[in-house]
Amino acid sequence: MCVGYVVGMRFESTELTGTELLLQKEVRDFLAAELPRGAFVPGLGMGAARDPEFSRKLARRGWVGMALPRRFGGGDRSAVERFVVVEELLRWGAPVGHHWVADRQSGPLINRFGTEAQKERFLPQICAGELSFSIGMSEPDSGSDLASVKTRATRVEGGWLLNGTKVWTSGAHVNDWFIVLARTSDESDRHQGLSQLLVDLRSSGLRVNPIPFLDGTAHFNEVVLTEVFVPDELVLGEVGMGWAQNTSELAYERGGPDRWLSTYLVLEHFLRERAGCDADGRVAMLLGEATAQWWALRRLSLSVARKMDRGEAPAAESALVKEMGTRFEQDVLRGVQRLVDLEPSLESPSPFEQLLARAMLTAPSFTIRGGTNEILRSVAARGLRP
Amino acid sequence: MTDPLLIETAERVFSDTCTHDAIEAAEREGWAPDIWARVAEVGLPWISLEGGSLVDALAVLRVAGRHAAPIPLAETGVLAGWLLAASGLAAGEGPLTVVPGRPDDTLELVGDRLSGVAHRVPWGRAVEQVVALIEVAGAWFVAAVPRTGFAVERRSNLAGEPRDTVTFDGSAQVAPAAQGVDASALRYRGALTRVMLMAGALEQMSRLTVGYTNERVQFGRPVGRFQAVQQHLVQGAQEAALVGTAADGAARAVGGGPARFEIAAAKLLANRAAHTATRAAHQAHGAMGMTREYALHHLSRRLWAWRSEYGDDLFWSSTLGAAVARAGPEQLYPIITSGSAVLEL
Repeated sequence: MCVGYVVGMRFESTELTGTELLLQKEVRDFLAAELPRGAFVPGLGMGAARDPEFSRKLARRGWVGMALPRRFGGGDRSAVERFVVVEELLRWGAPVGHHWVADRQSGPLINRFGTEAQKERFLPQICAGELSFSIGMSEPDSGSDLASVKTRATRVEGGWLLNGTKVWTSGAHVNDWFIVLARTSDESDRHQGLSQLLVDLRSSGLRVNPIPFLDGTAHFNEVVLTEVFVPDELVLGEVGMGWAQNTSELAYERGGPDRWLSTYLVLEHFLRERAGCDADGRVAMLLGEATAQWWALRRLSLSVARKMDRGEAPAAESALVKEMGTRFEQDVLRGVQRLVDLEPSLESPSPFEQLLARAMLTAPSFTIRGGTNEILRSVAARGLRP
Repeated sequence: MTDPLLIETAERVFSDTCTHDAIEAAEREGWAPDIWARVAEVGLPWISLEGGSLVDALAVLRVAGRHAAPIPLAETGVLAGWLLAASGLAAGEGPLTVVPGRPDDTLELVGDRLSGVAHRVPWGRAVEQVVALIEVAGAWFVAAVPRTGFAVERRSNLAGEPRDTVTFDGSAQVAPAAQGVDASALRYRGALTRVMLMAGALEQMSRLTVGYTNERVQFGRPVGRFQAVQQHLVQGAQEAALVGTAADGAARAVGGGPARFEIAAAKLLANRAAHTATRAAHQAHGAMGMTREYALHHLSRRLWAWRSEYGDDLFWSSTLGAAVARAGPEQLYPIITSGSAVLEL
């Protein structure tokens, strides 16, 4: 077998093993029984609904925090096994919102950089599907340029006092914790002097203000931190090493199935409701192109997961896949739109039309959330340098 | 798993022989006997027939694609050699080619007499035998005609590779095709060879573009440091990676069966990349990429030519899409994860 490679990056092709295929079947059977088609309103990939009860059910099957160590309630499973579970949940439109961020990045980050005490405190609850997390990176003046964050942690007796404002904080109004990237010292190299802190979203001095999303949903927030006390034991990893830790957090956040499945159900439901008549063959052309691209994108994404299992941190590869995957998600939507003559409506009785309308209203965010495509191209291009 | 030593050997032979000047000369003169002799000397054209496997031969084709090797490598072993071997005919020595089968071909086989015209025959002018697959009354036959038995009108593809018009009017060696060998099987196998060549060319094009933009200085810095140019570099790398993994997937799948889904998907993606990746690579190279003296055109013109061989975008997207539609919505995701294991084409 050849090894797929481009300059400076390697995507070793990989297939699922027998055990991994059994897991895939197990998840498919579970979803068919637990969430039969027609009996729930499917969501668009990681933008699906939150349902703590469903998260706990998944956790009881061992499918939340599954790649975390067994002694902290995890399953000692691999990143690839997590991939297998996650892709099935996303393509089914399952309500993954409650545990999503904790499972994808906060848990792995705490496991990698946290103290023994932090792991004991947080990981078992994450693995039980109980504890939910938000992301505390962006600020009003710091989006793509994260090293410019102004949220500051000032040393006080026994800990730190946090001041600043975080924005675009999805779920802050309902989640339990978030991991805040803050400046703990001023250094000549601005990538130094940053730290990550675990912050209780119910802390005194912390205020959550909703930022209504353009489709009318309320999940976006501004989080204002005023003299919020964070004890020393909740500093994550090393003081001053926040930039490197944040970068590895982003590697967990990028390159997975959530970056190419957001509009999958739009096409599946189109096929269910509208594909009957294909007089001029245009439906077949779209289906052929989309299926081929999903198949190959999935292979690249899977190869990134295998790299993580080998202990590598494939930042450039993840960025390359996410940039391509999120554009594809938007292309699928555009492709379907070109084949129908309808006025999209969220109130339509047709699941396809609802999904189409919801996807149209949220699609611009696909290439922004988790790092804009412009930033991802810079990250990927650095990985390409000879 | 292909022996890394085989890849190393192929890499060495092709990089030694397929120099810029040699590729230019091959295009000018219509044949590259010196390159062929070196490649044949180490047995590379016949590894799928002698000792090696199809997967090994495909891996070598990918290397050949990187180097724009101007010889009938895919035709000799994986295509014509396969047709001959499967029907018990001898491949002999020297280069072979296959009639790809175009709608305007007029071949007719009566007994052992082959007559008519075949179009777009790769390297027809340079081969020892032309092999054709012909249907007679619902049954498929393999017909092989030696050099003395056909006339050649020289034609070429966009890359200047020979794609000759061949006229037959005489006797041929004829044998019934093996079970499962028909025009459709040849089309899939032909597409698979183009996928491998294109995957190699895309990798090389990405490498060439990254290298060039790292050296070319404008406004006081390498142009590859500009975000607008980086966009092209990343797109070229993405297409190379995507087609690369698709080629791997197809090569792996043919080890276990016809692999029709994987071949169709991979050719469709390679065809698309022939558009998007060459556009990005040319834009990043500026005027330099439009010259004959710079190597980019050895790759970009081949990608444009190979795009329409053994199935263009329309053919593969319609074929694949119609099968996916027939399978229905419940099967859509299983197809994406399991390909030809759950989808028949």
